[in-house]
Amino acid sequence: MSKILEVKAKVEAGKTKLIAGLVQEALDEGIKAEDILQAMVDSMGVVGDKFSTGEIFVPEMLIAAKAMAKGVEVLKPLMASDSASSLGTCIIGTVAGDLHDIGKNLVSMMVESAGFKMVDLGVDVPAQKFVDAIKENENVTLVACSGLLTTTMPALKEAVETIKASGLAVKVIVGGAPVTPEYAAEIGADGYAPDAGSAAVKAKELVTA
Amino acid sequence: MLTIRQNLMETIKGGSPDRFVNQYEFMEIIMEAPMGTFVTPGQIVKNEWGITFSWPEGQLGGFPVHDAEHKVLKDICEWRKYVKAPAVNTSDEAWAAAVEHANAVDRNEKFVTPFVAPGIFEMTHHLMGMEDALMALYEEPEAMHELIDYLTEYELAYAKELISRLHPDALFHHDDWGSQISSFVAPEMFEEFFVPAYKKIYGFYKENGVELIVHHSDTFGANLVPSMIEMGIDIWQGVMTTNNTPELIKKYGPQITFMGDLDSGKIDFPGWTPEIIAEHVERACKTCGKLYFIPNLTQGLNFSSFPGVYEETTAAIDRMSKEMF
Repeated sequence: MSKILEVKAKVEAGKTKLIAGLVQEALDEGIKAEDILQAMVDSMGVVGDKFSTGEIFVPEMLIAAKAMAKGVEVLKPLMASDSASSLGTCIIGTVAGDLHDIGKNLVSMMVESAGFKMVDLGVDVPAQKFVDAIKENENVTLVACSGLLTTTMPALKEAVETIKASGLAVKVIVGGAPVTPEYAAEIGADGYAPDAGSAAVKAKELVTA
Repeated sequence: MLTIRQNLMETIKGGSPDRFVNQYEFMEIIMEAPMGTFVTPGQIVKNEWGITFSWPEGQLGGFPVHDAEHKVLKDICEWRKYVKAPAVNTSDEAWAAAVEHANAVDRNEKFVTPFVAPGIFEMTHHLMGMEDALMALYEEPEAMHELIDYLTEYELAYAKELISRLHPDALFHHDDWGSQISSFVAPEMFEEFFVPAYKKIYGFYKENGVELIVHHSDTFGANLVPSMIEMGIDIWQGVMTTNNTPELIKKYGPQITFMGDLDSGKIDFPGWTPEIIAEHVERACKTCGKLYFIPNLTQGLNFSSFPGVYEETTAAIDRMSKEMF
């Protein structure tokens, strides 16, 4: 198996303790850092798809993302500062009144693996804070808002409306257990994803369209 | 007319119930047993394991706090250094209210049912955070097995005291094993790490006179039902509609009863109406049927988050009993 295919396979299998060595070996063989990174991004795409279809579960996804992060650490000194986040910056947070963070954290991890720089505002984030974060950070292309409770659906709506009303040129993606594609469209979001795997796919699609 | 207890047994044994078991009516839940500190609205508390919980005003529940300062278990490989089980309270005074409550119950009518929470899975992520807990199952499986064994020993020590004091008929045990759309871990991983622990715990209760194990997990968990049966669960409370409850009843009915199918998130919200509740209750009762099913809000106790919802749901189930029995 070529070294780059091995890197790909080990990221997918979540071999966190092996990946740094493998990435170094791939570099030593003369493979470009950018190509190794792309292989890992592709791996995480496969992981995301498998999570979306129920073939794998949260631990497998977490461990794969951790493996990729360890590989990226080896590559970073060799790459232009922003090339690991070529899709821009994504602001992410759980909306006001909602303290759930597990789903949001998984989405953050997967969206980062797809090539975004993440700025995580945490939980219970007021609508205006999303807007402030867009202004305070460079090259923000996407905002991801999460809401898990039926009771915080109005806060999700307020967050999307506030971001859109600011006139800032960013895409907004929403998700969370009670959110449907219809509701996402109704409140003016640009995209919706039902889980972390498809969130990464949708995020990329929104900013490259 | 059957007693509440008889009607429950007819329902879960596939006999001839004369009405729907109505939500939590068969359980007299004993909340007074000394289980340690629980967070209440508006509080930040540290419990006896050192876990900090926060419940901001206006929220529907409390959450463990897992920033660097508050996380109890900082390195799974050194779990013995960080995790210290509290002593089980054995004073007569601490148990007096629970004993009094249990003694006041007509056991011909209802099951004396102590409430126990959190469970083994929740304890692992309360101690170390969800991400660390789930990754440790892969990265440090031996340490996780040891930690789970340690938590299990604590549960067994508590169970011993509880059984000797209350002589319960049933157990209501909480441990959420998934999100609303999937289990947190694969069935194989669940089987490896958590099923042995629960076989010990639930086996101990059953060996000591507990007739019914009612387990709460208001999540997806259809893929874990064979494990639930293996553990000795009699009733899975909190089954959400995402599980396709009618199909589960067809597949596993004689081995386990499903309690729920009325998703609290869709029913128990500020804008609830009797019509919304009636629609959900009718759907649940008609699609799930009379056996191996207990219509119930998925919330893990016998009340609702918004006033009136629990009572209206109870009334709607009574109406369906009149219509269908």
